[in-house]
Amino acid sequence: MEFTAGHGHAGLMEESPYGIPSGKLAIWCFVLSDAVTFAAVLFAYGYLRVGSPDWSTPFSFSPSILNGIVMTFVLLTSGLTMLAAVEAAKAGRTSAGTRWLWATCALGALFAVLHLLEWRRMIEEGWRLFQNPTGGAVQFGAAFFSVTGLHLLHVVGGVVALLIMALGFPSGKYNRTDIEVTGIYWHFVDLVWMFVFPLMYLMNAK
Amino acid sequence: MSEATAHAATHQHTAPTGFFRKYVFSVDHKVIGLQYYGLGLFAVIIGMILSWLMRLHLGWSTLAIPGLEKLSPVGAPGNVMTPEYYLSLMTMHGTIMVFFVLTNVPFAGFGNYFLPIQVGAADMAFPRMNMMSFWVTLSAFLVLMAAFFVSGGPPLSGWTAYAPLSAIGQDAGPGQGLGQTLWAVSIAIFCVAQLLGALNFIATTLDLRTRGMSLARMPLSTWAWFITSVIGLMAFAVLLPACILLFLDRVAGTSFFVPSGLVVSDRLQPHTGGSPLLWQHLFWFFGHPEVYIAILPAIGIVSHILPAFMRKPMLGTRVLIGCMAAIGFLSYMVWGHHMFVSGMNPFSAILFSVPTLVITIPATIATLLWIGSVYGARLRITTASLFCLGFVSVFISGGISGFFLAQPSIDTYLHATYFVVAHFHFVMGVAAIFGMFAGTYFWMPKMIGRMMNESLGKLHFWITFVGVYCIFMPMHYLGLAGNVRRYAAFTDDFLVPLIPVHQFITIAALVTGAAQLIFLFNLVWTRFRGPKASDNPWQATSLEWSTTSPPPFDNFGGKQLVVHNEAYLYGVQGASGDYVMQTSPETVAQD
Amino acid sequence: MSSPDSTPGPGMKFFVAVWIGLMCIVGIEVVITYSHPPARQLLVWLLALAFLEAGIAVWYFMHLKYERAALVWSAIPILVFVVFMLDHIWPDAFRLISMRFLSN
Repeated sequence: MEFTAGHGHAGLMEESPYGIPSGKLAIWCFVLSDAVTFAAVLFAYGYLRVGSPDWSTPFSFSPSILNGIVMTFVLLTSGLTMLAAVEAAKAGRTSAGTRWLWATCALGALFAVLHLLEWRRMIEEGWRLFQNPTGGAVQFGAAFFSVTGLHLLHVVGGVVALLIMALGFPSGKYNRTDIEVTGIYWHFVDLVWMFVFPLMYLMNAK
Repeated sequence: MSEATAHAATHQHTAPTGFFRKYVFSVDHKVIGLQYYGLGLFAVIIGMILSWLMRLHLGWSTLAIPGLEKLSPVGAPGNVMTPEYYLSLMTMHGTIMVFFVLTNVPFAGFGNYFLPIQVGAADMAFPRMNMMSFWVTLSAFLVLMAAFFVSGGPPLSGWTAYAPLSAIGQDAGPGQGLGQTLWAVSIAIFCVAQLLGALNFIATTLDLRTRGMSLARMPLSTWAWFITSVIGLMAFAVLLPACILLFLDRVAGTSFFVPSGLVVSDRLQPHTGGSPLLWQHLFWFFGHPEVYIAILPAIGIVSHILPAFMRKPMLGTRVLIGCMAAIGFLSYMVWGHHMFVSGMNPFSAILFSVPTLVITIPATIATLLWIGSVYGARLRITTASLFCLGFVSVFISGGISGFFLAQPSIDTYLHATYFVVAHFHFVMGVAAIFGMFAGTYFWMPKMIGRMMNESLGKLHFWITFVGVYCIFMPMHYLGLAGNVRRYAAFTDDFLVPLIPVHQFITIAALVTGAAQLIFLFNLVWTRFRGPKASDNPWQATSLEWSTTSPPPFDNFGGKQLVVHNEAYLYGVQGASGDYVMQTSPETVAQD
Repeated sequence: MSSPDSTPGPGMKFFVAVWIGLMCIVGIEVVITYSHPPARQLLVWLLALAFLEAGIAVWYFMHLKYERAALVWSAIPILVFVVFMLDHIWPDAFRLISMRFLSN
């Protein structure tokens, strides 16, 4: 019983069952693993929320939800620019690809800045990991800052990776597969936000 | 051809020069595997010493152990261990053994060394990430070791670090300050290292198999490493956030795991609204797959070694692969059996108990396959094959107690007794270790090019084998008699009569521990005096035996192997000899 | 070595359409939120839409549609299985409120 599709005729190796470069396979595995990590944190948030009799829903439409919508828009658009970068890279258009990489990087940085500004505003209102100025469950602050903080960490990591790609792609240090791999990671960061925004913001809207 | 081929191909031509590139910051999977093995060896010695200290105290609780006060003036005034320090030593023993020995050596150690070779690759898919994995693991180890030397000493909450004890800080006891925080940080770092390692293993297994090495032809050890890395990918992904949340509870004042109104050491804790049960859920969601991560590589290694000494393949190689995969899959469904008495929803207990009983099925099938295969075979007795047989024996001994613990009704009585200690030590502390010993005696000739001393090896085996039974068998009796675990001393009326049993166990532990010196001596002796090993001293079939001992830098000397055969063609009718190597062009019809 | 980039794909026009679709879903989420349904219902809606969004992102943006079926059938079931197993913690979460000793 053969598990693989067949021998590479002139190939020296067995064909991978997935037919993608190792870097892509690795990033998919990483995405799977990181998805479980975020799932665990979100489950912890849900667990504590369900168990709290005095959960706060402090987010008014302006500025919190509006800010969230803007951040979502920024991140989704960065996903689009990332796609453009990958398409350009695949077509061999290096300078276009580099420009789109810079655009994605900039949008990612914008997201991070907006997020940090939001954090600053909330901290000024009295929110902490251990403190709830509205008098409700302190778990709100803990859950909010840890979930969004973990996501923000991934965004910053992605921005750094995009920076490195944008700098190295023109000279050929990184090739189209590397761009694609970075793209998969970046889309994953966007994907996590698709859960964080509804669960952390919309579910806590006033 | 995948990108990885180009990567590996360029990698082939540049052997490193210079001491640091060759032996310290090496990207060669063989060096990295040996580094992991060395780390595991160092860790197991420390873990064993800790166990001796514990056992001495359990047998003679007023014993003054020379030098202990130097290690911890607070923990052992007058060289006599305080109960808190006993718990600290116990915590470090468990943590070091489970993480840095059992997760480390069979998987990262042997797996790193032999996975690429067994699939016919020149190296792992990502050699630099591989090197990084080791150094991250070593960093985690050093952070953990630092806990011994900080004020307060190591944590005392067990390797399971249950909240709220582990989450509230210094009030919970000595070691619960910086010590516990270092623990949380160390384990979080370890998770990252394991995740990186798993990525490498998966990519290498799927993408770097040489021509003819279909998935079905991979040796059982390779399958075990592959399945283990898939399990680990998901399991460590949950432990990492759990440790982060624990860290936040400790240093940032969050209340993920600490409820309101907790008074510890006469002080009301500031936390409110958390759930200790949440920690248990998150921890054991990782913790149960973890113990299968610890045992599956050993299962694979033993199943790989036995055919070479039976001179026949395992009774059902494909079935064994299925068993390993089934164990991996089911391992995610059973974690609540650690929580039967935790206050968890009792109906959940049924949901966990049934899969736990089901998971015994593939384990039993595997055991029957081993026994059935060896039966009727003229097993050549070497140290490696003895440890394989020993593995089967202790796997059965440890597995049977699992049947009991799987049932909530019985577990209500046996939980937190020595019955459980016996169970997990047999399956993890002995079986997995026997797998490592078997792997060492089998593969050392390949790794360093010299044969180990068989007489010393057999002596090591017999003393160890008898010794572990003397240590852990009586613990079943102790558990049934109600002997609670994680007690530093036994002063209750019903426990005092059991102390002589503990003393017997302690003596057995010390003797068995001393016997490991034979192994260590053998390692050193082999390195300097062992007779040179040929390429294939065991006349085995898999790819590691198609190259020199030790293999060259790129594993096969620039050759790209072509595989023609399955992994275990021993004693096949119609073959020209007693065995057919995987690379042999001779293909034999299978009936 | 020409990398046989296994993933052909549609053009950018298509991806812009997907992007618009995703933003519409976000819009729907916000609208539903502000129709103030009971929390449980809101959660169901938001989760369903989030999974839909995620599915679209994985399928198109991450190009999973254009990969081999084997990758889809390996990655998705494993993830679904693990997340499904995590759901075993909910019985204890729902008991928590009734077991609380002190409020806040």
